[in-house]
Amino acid sequence: MDLVLQPFLRSLETGSVYALAALGIIIVWRTSLVMHFAQGSMGMFAGTAVAFVFNRSGMPLWQAVLVGVAVAVALGFLVDFAIIRRLKRATAVGKEIITLGLIMVFLGLAPIVFGTDPMLLPRFIPSGDIKLGDANISYNGLLNILIGVVIAAGLFLLLQRTKLGLAVRATASNEPTARLMGIPTRSVTLLAWALAGVLGMLAAVMIAPTTTVTPTFMNTVQVSALFACVLGGFQTFYGPVVGAYLIAVVSNFLKLYVSSVWGDQLMYLIILVFLLFRPNGLFGKTYMQKV
Amino acid sequence: MSTSTATRTASPLSLIVQPLRNAHVQFIVFGALLCLLPAIAKAGGMRNSTLSTLAFVLIYAIVALGLNLLLGYSGLISLGTAGFVGLGAYLAAYFQDDLKLGFWVALLAALVVPTFIGLLVGFVSLRVRSIYLAIASLCIAEILLKTFEQLDWFTHGTAGKQSKYPVVFGLQTDRATMFIIIVIALVLVMMLTYNTVHGQLGRALHAMRSSEVAAQAMGVNVLKYKLFAFSMATLYAGLGGALYLFFLRSSYPSTWNLFLSLNIIAMVVVGGLRSIFGTVAGAFVIFAVPELVLKKLPVIGDVAGLPYIFSGLLIVLVIMFFPTGLKGLADLARRPFQRLRANRSESGPPGPDPSDRVDPTGPETVLTAAEEVRPA
Repeated sequence: MDLVLQPFLRSLETGSVYALAALGIIIVWRTSLVMHFAQGSMGMFAGTAVAFVFNRSGMPLWQAVLVGVAVAVALGFLVDFAIIRRLKRATAVGKEIITLGLIMVFLGLAPIVFGTDPMLLPRFIPSGDIKLGDANISYNGLLNILIGVVIAAGLFLLLQRTKLGLAVRATASNEPTARLMGIPTRSVTLLAWALAGVLGMLAAVMIAPTTTVTPTFMNTVQVSALFACVLGGFQTFYGPVVGAYLIAVVSNFLKLYVSSVWGDQLMYLIILVFLLFRPNGLFGKTYMQKV
Repeated sequence: MSTSTATRTASPLSLIVQPLRNAHVQFIVFGALLCLLPAIAKAGGMRNSTLSTLAFVLIYAIVALGLNLLLGYSGLISLGTAGFVGLGAYLAAYFQDDLKLGFWVALLAALVVPTFIGLLVGFVSLRVRSIYLAIASLCIAEILLKTFEQLDWFTHGTAGKQSKYPVVFGLQTDRATMFIIIVIALVLVMMLTYNTVHGQLGRALHAMRSSEVAAQAMGVNVLKYKLFAFSMATLYAGLGGALYLFFLRSSYPSTWNLFLSLNIIAMVVVGGLRSIFGTVAGAFVIFAVPELVLKKLPVIGDVAGLPYIFSGLLIVLVIMFFPTGLKGLADLARRPFQRLRANRSESGPPGPDPSDRVDPTGPETVLTAAEEVRPA
């Protein structure tokens, strides 16, 4: 077995999961200026819905994922429409604490709605792998990497090349001005929350086969996605994606070559030290506060 | 506080009521009343389990008071509270039971080490954006949680660390005396918090809350005071951890997860930002109500996730509809009485309108702004 290429390919697989979750966080941050702490738990809820539908009704996985998309969009709409939009006077801190409260709500709701038994979710492609020299990667792993890269690239194109993307970027840069220019910023924000929900759900479905579906199975993804945003900086959409892959690679190599137990913790320490030297992330510009 | 009281004739009632206006007297009276609870429990008026629940309410109130200094004054979120409380608990156990250095050294260790780590984390993260503190403290909490699980010689891992009631001033404590020690600690913390907020530090924090830029222009070192607020929060967390261990005499890693940190935030939000008694009330609502009331409800009482939903929904609803929390509720309830009193003392010179006395720095909290927030 190749001891460099093999863990590297594995890291790309988990990196894609982190990247999707991080994209959800960053798109909410850019449009609402709110750190979306509930990204992981909303993904967990929609992902658990996928597992529930798949296990109960016996429909194919891709149909169950479509149900998951519907659940995720509905959750995103609900959170923005029923809560975030009504918080006219709330500051960013207030909204962030609300997303912290939502973590607890979804965590408490999931076992009530879907039952307390842990569930399993199979891979998209059950078997088969490709040999790359001494290393190998499963078709499913390759698909996960592809999903991550394609969605990140697609989102990037959408943001840079389409009118909708322009609206999102305008809202991100200055919401009141964008509204005055005739951009329906409320719809943009609504869309951002729904998109974040779908990205979280996809991340959940992709990570689920490696573990069991319980209310806490997205915790590592959520934490890693947050760190990916810190590492990549909050100013760009591609920064967190690069950060996500980097985190996955570093964490896997630390686990393999330094300590299988303390790998993640060492990486967290590295991120803290990194913050000391590059506080705005890899691609961040110096953050200036306007008075 | 009010000028009209000086001219009012001293009635026997006012001789009792007047000292109660002093915050420190209020804290001491509150503590004295709490000290009656173990006696009530011993006489059979209260179940011992209820007394334990209340002890945990008081311990978490201490921790939440620290977070209230942080969140209420500087608008900073810490997601690492549970990690620091856990660290305090394990340090207390290690120094008392493994090194056998006694109660006071164990307590000191539980105070000093978390505060020091807090200072380091704060220094790294506070220079950028406020929100980085939340992420950095989450980082530290994850590291600490793993440490609790893996560092066997220090924590006994997932099997849990066992301890015993400490000996304080040569006196072997038990459940009742430990409860009284917790009450004393809470009263001291309330006084310390009150003095901090009303001293020079408090004025700087107040100034920062209104406008960080303006405070900076007035010569307030924003980083220093944010760091100070965060280290106070970790200090209280360490103290809470030590008291937790001394009272429960055991500690398991699974206790110190993110949801405890979120619950502490819920206590602060529900109780009301920058309110000392509000925080204690918030701790009661978040910790004791699920324990004493919700679990006993028919049908829904058995649902496992109920306390989570309860705390989470309360956070959302309070910020949406009543951002001043229980403190705001108490102010609202007190208003008719204040008006009554103002009417009764018509003979004296007109006192200040009670409705003016809400908060000299304006009703907005760090959760809500007076006008729509400008994006940064």
